[in-house]
Amino acid sequence: MSGLTASMPRLDAEVLIIGSGAGGATTAALLAEAGIDVLIVEEGPWVDQGSVTPFSLEQMDQQYRAGGVTVALGLPSIAYTEGRCAGGGTEVNSGLYFRPPVDVIERWSAQHRIRDLDPDALSVIAAEIEQALTVSTVPGRTTPASEILRDGAAALGWQHNEIPRWMAYPPGGDAVTGKRQSMTRTFLPRAFAAGARMIVDCRVDRLHMAGGTGRSAAVTFADGSTGVITFRDVIVCGGAIQSPALLQRSGIHGYIGRTLAVHPTVKLSARFRDEVNVPDDVPVHQVKEFAPDLSFGGSASHPGLVALALTDHWKAFSKSVVQWRQIAIYYAAITSEGRGWVRAIPGLRDPLVTYRLSHRDRQLLRSGLARLTLLMLEADAEEVYPSFRGAPIVRNRADIASMQQAFAVSKASVMTVHLCSSVPMGELPGRSGADSFGRVHGTSNVFVNDASLLPTAPGVNPQATVMAIAIRNARHFISSRSTTDTRSTTDTRNIKGHHER
Amino acid sequence: MSVDRWPAPSTTVVTGAAGWLGQALLHRLVADPARQRIRVLVRDNTEADAVKPVLDAAEARSQVVVGDIANPRTVDQLFDGVGADCDVLHTAGVIHPQRIQHLFDVNTTGTEHMVTAAAKAGVRRFTHVSSNSPFGTNPHPDDVFRADEPYHPYMAYGRSKMQGELAVFAAVEGGLDASIVRPPWFYGPFQPPRQTTFFRMVRNGKFPVIAGGHQRRSMVYVDNLVDGLLLAELTPQARGKGYWIADAKPYLVTEIVDTVGRALRDEGFSVKDGALRLPALAARVAEVADGLIQGTGRYQQQLHVLGEMGHTIACDIALARVELGYDPTVDLYEGMRRSIRWCVENGLEL
Repeated sequence: MSGLTASMPRLDAEVLIIGSGAGGATTAALLAEAGIDVLIVEEGPWVDQGSVTPFSLEQMDQQYRAGGVTVALGLPSIAYTEGRCAGGGTEVNSGLYFRPPVDVIERWSAQHRIRDLDPDALSVIAAEIEQALTVSTVPGRTTPASEILRDGAAALGWQHNEIPRWMAYPPGGDAVTGKRQSMTRTFLPRAFAAGARMIVDCRVDRLHMAGGTGRSAAVTFADGSTGVITFRDVIVCGGAIQSPALLQRSGIHGYIGRTLAVHPTVKLSARFRDEVNVPDDVPVHQVKEFAPDLSFGGSASHPGLVALALTDHWKAFSKSVVQWRQIAIYYAAITSEGRGWVRAIPGLRDPLVTYRLSHRDRQLLRSGLARLTLLMLEADAEEVYPSFRGAPIVRNRADIASMQQAFAVSKASVMTVHLCSSVPMGELPGRSGADSFGRVHGTSNVFVNDASLLPTAPGVNPQATVMAIAIRNARHFISSRSTTDTRSTTDTRNIKGHHER
Repeated sequence: MSVDRWPAPSTTVVTGAAGWLGQALLHRLVADPARQRIRVLVRDNTEADAVKPVLDAAEARSQVVVGDIANPRTVDQLFDGVGADCDVLHTAGVIHPQRIQHLFDVNTTGTEHMVTAAAKAGVRRFTHVSSNSPFGTNPHPDDVFRADEPYHPYMAYGRSKMQGELAVFAAVEGGLDASIVRPPWFYGPFQPPRQTTFFRMVRNGKFPVIAGGHQRRSMVYVDNLVDGLLLAELTPQARGKGYWIADAKPYLVTEIVDTVGRALRDEGFSVKDGALRLPALAARVAEVADGLIQGTGRYQQQLHVLGEMGHTIACDIALARVELGYDPTVDLYEGMRRSIRWCVENGLEL
């Protein structure tokens, strides 16, 4: 499938971009459009949008790392998922768009001493992103599972919104008619049109460093053969787990991988009288009454995932699985005080990830699950199945008290999708992994430009913030380069590298 | 904003009349000539003596029934001949019991007896005084309980009060017109003698402040609470609803200690600076010990209070403002000054 194979073991690029998700694809497009010779390498495969059912187990198998089963160890351990395909997480996530929150940006700027991080400038970039990805609300009907969140919140007087998504809808189209404007449909084609090349199914094992300067990348292709890519600059965009792990494997040991931040979530399944399940879409409504500490939303509810959710107390819950059409899955997500570690272990392919929840985090998860349960009852759920071991079936308000009594975070299926902050940017001595524009401290030409840079988890779906910061940093990279030398590109330009579909 | 209100009913039934809230309420009812008949329940003759001075002012309008709401015969007697133009203000409750079972006898079973009798009598409105305790504590110091929250009862008291609320809501399903008010920690005149400990601890610089005192607490001055209670009684729209009734905003624990200190000084008392600063662990240990002791059916007040001090208990009164027109007028400093004066006038040593 990929344009390059092991028969071309030695490659060169002016700028090597590792990873093709929200950070990598935007960076590649901007740099290529500025006339820079760009080579993107992506560990996962290219999967056309529409060739796999969205939010399905099949998708987890094809487009997620390790089939979607990756775990941050701790008490409790937290399951996390990472996209591992061309376009990264943008191909598989919920597509819900939030502008970079102004208060968060201001806090980052002040507390992490990030130079020239201006909320207004980011808003201008956000407007560009909104246009590029056709960010919009659903013109027609939202799904029944989504309306449950809306109606339950309205009954309680809790603030709720329909969150716009990067979807292209036909006029008047309902939620399920949207076409996801992921990176393989937007910024990657833009990068290719401007001459960028891309190799998929190609993993970067390590960067070869000489002093503080990266010289080349050692790579492994899908067939097991290896190669080397030389570059002038390298921009690591592998996401908050893979980026710090690669830096560590390359012997870069600054403030890297010590401050992983996530939005831990707990879940429940709720059964209604009507058929509410939509197997191939997720709700667009979110409840923001308790934000930023606590947010509620809807999860993928493919029948396989419903069955999986009911295994938390299979003995009590299993008889409901045949009614999966009446069941939808929802989550309560928190902003966490806890922190995680990403540590590359010599000889192991994947890094060791650990995460520790604080006392407050645990209280919030408990309270969040209970408040979400109350919302479900207000939306006329007949039964609620909280996702923790030994959970009772909740049918009324008195049952919520029993549920909270029985709850312990250690029994819960805690998971997360928003991973960030493992290479925080800023100028805090000894407390920043990269500088104010993503250059890894202690290096001259190794950059990070993905979710790893966000100093904390932003409290909202982070993709737009990741993209806005990436675009800001890419522009800074381009402008600071144009003032230094302009080394001519090497002779690898004639290699037709970009992926052929 | 205008809110529909009923006029006062011809008969007003008050339980817990000799209690802290009950006495403050009784003073207000007696002062209102529109309250034609006030029938009060007190537990025993000592309590009957306690309410006698205020009821004397009401003369023929008042009737006293002596007994325990845990006894259905007492409750039948209380409702005997009240008629349909009657409101019930159910303030009776046990907070600090001798034995844990006593909480359930009064707060749960007693409330069940009350709503059953009220439904049978066909009263106009039954207003139940609940608590923050059915909802536990906030998950973090910036969190505020919204109008509607999931139950998470704090210890046995919280469970007994939750079951009391559930009995009220079940009665509403069955046709009773009832409303609920949920006051947090209250303060003000008619305080029981045990509450002077609170002022003494502040005076001696010994009030326990846990982990820096960043917790927040909603409190309610007892007259603000009477305002809210009467509004929940007289507002037709309140049927089937529960309302937080508290001062305008929650206070930081450090703010409470400082304000009470200032109020004491301004009333002429000497106050030692400082507080008893304890680590979070002290409150956790107290909480665990409290739970263990309660598990044996007994109760230790100091441990219970200390255990709760490590938590935030903050509520949002927005719904009461909008739907009842509730507007608390007394704040912590003014309320505490009035409490201190009341203690002095009533010979309580601070």
